[in-house]
Amino acid sequence: MSTNERSIWEKIADQLRSKSLWMLHYCTGCGAIELPPSMTSRFDMERFGMGPMATPRQADILFITGYLSAKTLRRVIYTYEQMPEPKYVIGFGSCTLNGGIYYDSYATINRLDYYIPVDLYIAGCMPRPEALLEAFNELMRMIRKGEANGWKRYKENYEWYKQNQLRSLGEVFIHDEFHE
Amino acid sequence: MTNSMNNTIERLKSIIRNLKVEEIDEREVKIEIKPEMVLNALSLLKGSGYSHLSIITAVDWIEENKFELVYILFSWNDGGKFIVSTKIDRKKAKFVTVKHLWPIARYYERELHEFFGISFEGNDDMRPLFLENWDDLPPLRKDFDPMEYSKKKFPDREYHKDVIHEAKVIRGDLNG
Amino acid sequence: MGEVKLFFGPNHPGMHGNFSVHMYVEGDTVERARPLPGFLHRGFEKLMERRLWYQNLALIPRICVPEPDINEVCYAMAIEKIAKIDVPERAQWIRMIILELARIASHMMSFPGIGGPLGLYTSSFWGVADRDRILDIFESLTGARIYHMFIVPGGVRKDLTPKIQDLIVKTLDYIEGRLPDYEDLIFKNRIVHTRLKGIALLDRETALELGVTGVGLRATGVPYDIRKVDPYLFYDKVDFEIPTATDGDAYSRVYLKYLEIYQSIKIIRQCLEKMPEGKVNVPLSEGSALRYKVPKGQAYVHIESTRGEYGYFMVSDGGEKPYRVAVRGASYPQTFIGVEKYLPGTRIEDVPIWLSTMDVCAPEVDR
Repeated sequence: MSTNERSIWEKIADQLRSKSLWMLHYCTGCGAIELPPSMTSRFDMERFGMGPMATPRQADILFITGYLSAKTLRRVIYTYEQMPEPKYVIGFGSCTLNGGIYYDSYATINRLDYYIPVDLYIAGCMPRPEALLEAFNELMRMIRKGEANGWKRYKENYEWYKQNQLRSLGEVFIHDEFHE
Repeated sequence: MTNSMNNTIERLKSIIRNLKVEEIDEREVKIEIKPEMVLNALSLLKGSGYSHLSIITAVDWIEENKFELVYILFSWNDGGKFIVSTKIDRKKAKFVTVKHLWPIARYYERELHEFFGISFEGNDDMRPLFLENWDDLPPLRKDFDPMEYSKKKFPDREYHKDVIHEAKVIRGDLNG
Repeated sequence: MGEVKLFFGPNHPGMHGNFSVHMYVEGDTVERARPLPGFLHRGFEKLMERRLWYQNLALIPRICVPEPDINEVCYAMAIEKIAKIDVPERAQWIRMIILELARIASHMMSFPGIGGPLGLYTSSFWGVADRDRILDIFESLTGARIYHMFIVPGGVRKDLTPKIQDLIVKTLDYIEGRLPDYEDLIFKNRIVHTRLKGIALLDRETALELGVTGVGLRATGVPYDIRKVDPYLFYDKVDFEIPTATDGDAYSRVYLKYLEIYQSIKIIRQCLEKMPEGKVNVPLSEGSALRYKVPKGQAYVHIESTRGEYGYFMVSDGGEKPYRVAVRGASYPQTFIGVEKYLPGTRIEDVPIWLSTMDVCAPEVDR
């Protein structure tokens, strides 16, 4: 079965999945400062059926808030691979899209979808909470239509993604004195 | 310059000959001294009330082939700032540690080692702090080109297609 | 029971920002701790050397996320010091208003900071919602919520219109009216007392020796504030107090932040009153501002941010780009030596409280 085809059960499941999304609360960059306003009373994203989740094992959405340094990217890849399927990735801010203002930095990556599959990008620096809510609604629509299948692409093109990760990071494993 | 800063400079002059003093503004003075006198000057300044170490940093003067080490001291009593600067050789970038005077200097020195490649005698803890698996020149040296490194390691997006990797883009600014 | 290795962060809901502490834990107590920064390292100091003096204005606010305006002020003040530019008086007053508004916003954000570890989520909701009112002022003034890019070398970008001054006055009135509610919710709350009092202790000698500045130092009883000791802008022309406490624990630090909001409101009101009419910026150069060159020189500028002494050391060689800019992150001492030396002995559940009340702010440490 190709990535875009779904069985009838999957179609029903996708309808249900889109109604209850748990977002992993991992602040990878400056975009994290717009998350509290969107989670709390002013913009209140819970009315759309989304909530923050503390652990990757129970989360559906990996939300990359802004630039990723190479050091964080290792942890993000770990986190992404820990998450159960189906899983969706949103890139928040221009720096995940094309490097943004850090296009020439020696420490940050330039495009996120080179390393992990991204379903949706929010462009801008810094995107407003409304844009975040809009993006979540768009993601829900995409899930219902079966368009958000980055996790399937990751499985299919695992070699390609791994190769890219190794090119930028040298090795994905974390080595420091604490891990040995 | 405030009175206490004048007094301190007089005392510095008594232990260090040909001291170069440059007044930047009313409460900020830069003094340039030889590397071997830095520890004496710093302990004297610390004893005279300039005991708050704001930052230790370095400037890469690649044309002169020197590193300028900068210690900025601040006094909570009169608000005076002393910028103590000294120049060391760029090839053999080595200096002595000041971690016995200020504990935090240990981390500033570790940072300088990582970003400039300057090592500090007496400070053995020189493990990388901010970067992981770094494999190039120390990044804040002037001869390091971050653009080149970024191109080599982190490929750019190629914009020859209208579609950006099947992912949708929502504009996050006001016109979105 | 043996020693257990425990990660705290970067991917942890109790962690503020992208920062990691590695702990060796025995039972419930931290035996050893090691800070692991660098997850937010973007190489700002290198990037600034690659951009023109004016282009850097877009880059610098991004160093510190909760309070970006301190960067703009430091950068502008350092250039003005080297190039000896006289800034119009009105611009200086406007800068003070912006700085104090940012201080209130950042202090408001510290209530959510303790709300999480305490389980007192009401304070999180209130703090974030009230902070949004200040962001609304920034939005109507500059068009941006977070990164304003409003303060430029030579002044500020735009004048404060009467409408915005009105908005500021109204918002301040609202916040001042709200603050007693916070007092009832947080500082008269018995749970908060038992959870925060006597925790994360730092005595005066250690704080001075480490170089801890800001609220962490003032909570130990010394009224050291750069706004008073080394006044910049017009802080010597306004009347305000430096609240201090003597306990040096987590509770007094949070309480000082609360008291500082009152002082900031007082400063802004005086600024609005004393602000003269006139120009708000001076053109730096003839022709294109992008080609502006700062004369040869060096300067160190520091200001009092919410977390303490925040400084820029700037070197210009007379070229089109800065030769070197070094940033002193305000929370540098407590992040490194503090975590390493003073975290051991605390219980695991107090670690987030320790980190958030000591204002460990990852973006400005990593840069």
